Amino acid sequence: MIVSRTDHAGGTTRALAATFAANCLTLLVGCGGHSERTLPVRTALDEGSPRGAIAALNKELEVDHDGDMPKKIEGDNALLVLDRASIQQSLAQWQLAENDFQAADKAIDMLDLAHNAGDSIGTYMFSDSSGKYVAPPYEKLLINTLNMIDYLEVGDLSGAKIEARRLAVIQKYYADALNQRDNPILGLGGFLAGLAFEKAGDVDEALRWYDEALAFTGYDVLAPTIARLLPQGTYSSPRLKQAAARGQGTAPLGPDEGEVVFVIGYGRVPHKIPKRIPIGLALTLVSGSISPGNYAMANKLAAQGLVTWVNYPTLAPGQGAYAIPQCMLDGQYVPLEEAVNVSEQVRAEWKNIEGKVILSAITRLITRLAVGGGIQAATKGSLIGELLSLGTQATLTALDTPDTRSWETLPARIAIARVRVKAGSNSVRLDARGVLREQNLDVTKGGWSLVSLMALR
Amino acid sequence: MKKTLSLVGLVVIGLAASGCGKEYVRGSQDPSIDNAAMSTGIDKDDIQRMLSENLNNLRSAPIMNQWRLDRGQDTVAVFPFQNETTEHIEPQLSAILSEAETWLVDAGTVTVISRERQNQMIAEVEGHQNPVFNPAHIAQYGKQLGAKYFVTGKVAASDERTEDARRVQYFFFMQVIDVETSAIRWQHKAYVTKMVR
Repeated sequence: MIVSRTDHAGGTTRALAATFAANCLTLLVGCGGHSERTLPVRTALDEGSPRGAIAALNKELEVDHDGDMPKKIEGDNALLVLDRASIQQSLAQWQLAENDFQAADKAIDMLDLAHNAGDSIGTYMFSDSSGKYVAPPYEKLLINTLNMIDYLEVGDLSGAKIEARRLAVIQKYYADALNQRDNPILGLGGFLAGLAFEKAGDVDEALRWYDEALAFTGYDVLAPTIARLLPQGTYSSPRLKQAAARGQGTAPLGPDEGEVVFVIGYGRVPHKIPKRIPIGLALTLVSGSISPGNYAMANKLAAQGLVTWVNYPTLAPGQGAYAIPQCMLDGQYVPLEEAVNVSEQVRAEWKNIEGKVILSAITRLITRLAVGGGIQAATKGSLIGELLSLGTQATLTALDTPDTRSWETLPARIAIARVRVKAGSNSVRLDARGVLREQNLDVTKGGWSLVSLMALR
Repeated sequence: MKKTLSLVGLVVIGLAASGCGKEYVRGSQDPSIDNAAMSTGIDKDDIQRMLSENLNNLRSAPIMNQWRLDRGQDTVAVFPFQNETTEHIEPQLSAILSEAETWLVDAGTVTVISRERQNQMIAEVEGHQNPVFNPAHIAQYGKQLGAKYFVTGKVAASDERTEDARRVQYFFFMQVIDVETSAIRWQHKAYVTKMVR
């Protein structure tokens, strides 16, 4: 009898320990998905209130001012700072946007470097959102690309060139280590980096970057520039020669002329949202990649007739991608070229990882049931054991938050234009999705300006 | 059972207590705080290392002997160092510039033109609307200032990334240029490497 009681006490202790561990995990992982956290931000942007969106982000970051950084810029805070950076940019707060982009760039890089096996285990055991955030390639490339706009807006070529070099490091890493060489974000990056080096007088470096941009469609506007630069440099390529041939015949920049580059981002990329699907449907989706053991166990669950749900993230519809932005210079319309469709990149990247995400969600479901079964066995089917088993499963289910983390404040599409203007004061009017930027622009003889608009709604 | 729960409780309280409370530390009281590398940027230790390498070389360079022979008659302008790296290290470069300037003034072998005067000259050359230093116009600034030599330099970097590490190798070049002829009268380099892994 004593032995039996001791056994029972031991089983209860183990069960309590399991419950305690599960509850501790609640503290570690936290509750509520990222998309839920950022709902006020998206709502404010939809309402045309970027300042309201920044206020919501500041609240989440627990800071008082737009220029303040959170106490710890790690984990999801890095992503929130990144969200804030692009909204600061849409408000023409260039210095603040630069600071946010720089801080988020380093923090996201550190997260990327620190990604370890523990994160993978967490992903497959507890929740996708328990792992460290790993930015997809298009996000990493866009950090430096968009930050270049901040520096170019204020004429800081040195700062823009640093961002261009940082972009080159990441680009090389993706090309060499991950064999990803054709990300269309590099087109826009090449266009802006080329401009920075061209205006700083580094012709060869500018040509290298323009060559990069020409690998993608949407940069025909570069032809006259390349026709002018190619004879001045030593770097050349078949693409550059073709572009130079197209640009032949364009008169060189007159002594009383300058140049203006326009960059317009509009709409917002699809963000991630949680989705629930029955396990039977989930099994159909990943039938080719699930392990035989897990497949059998999941099938058994489905066959029991109980509707068991699998939680996983998916993409919400994007918005504003079909808007038509307008650009006017001194009352004349300026034709815009689409430089990059960011939403398309988001969808392509998601398509690559969707199967793996559903798979890990099914694995977690099976783990939860196995842990519940283990507690029941340890308590020999007693009432307290049943309750603990249910409690643990419920806790683990609550912990299993679909990973809805992503850079949500990215424009859906980005369009560009490059035109020559008479030196002096010129009126500029950019309009997209009801967001307007109007100003008089002073362009010096032989000088240049970059004017941008980010309409994130 | 009770003992186990008490122990767990203590551990939880201990963890909670250890999570809060930061303190400010003075470097003079704890010199070790200067030792840790906090990022792949340039810090005080890197600045001292690079400058000491270059300035020690300048101390025994022929141009320094020339300046000594001229008994402080040569005027020297110190122009901003160019940042050709992948890091936004402008504040650190500004610190390097000031350190180099201080070293030259302390050496007493040349007349160093004040930075304020230089900024005025940059504004005159570049226009008051956008008085940003342009390295391509250094010789022009020097002539306008009446400087015989100018000290300048640049920091370049080789930045590489792998799956689990990022390494930045800095190359710090300093040079003395003759304003009249644009001839490089002295040049030296120093290296520093930073890594996150």
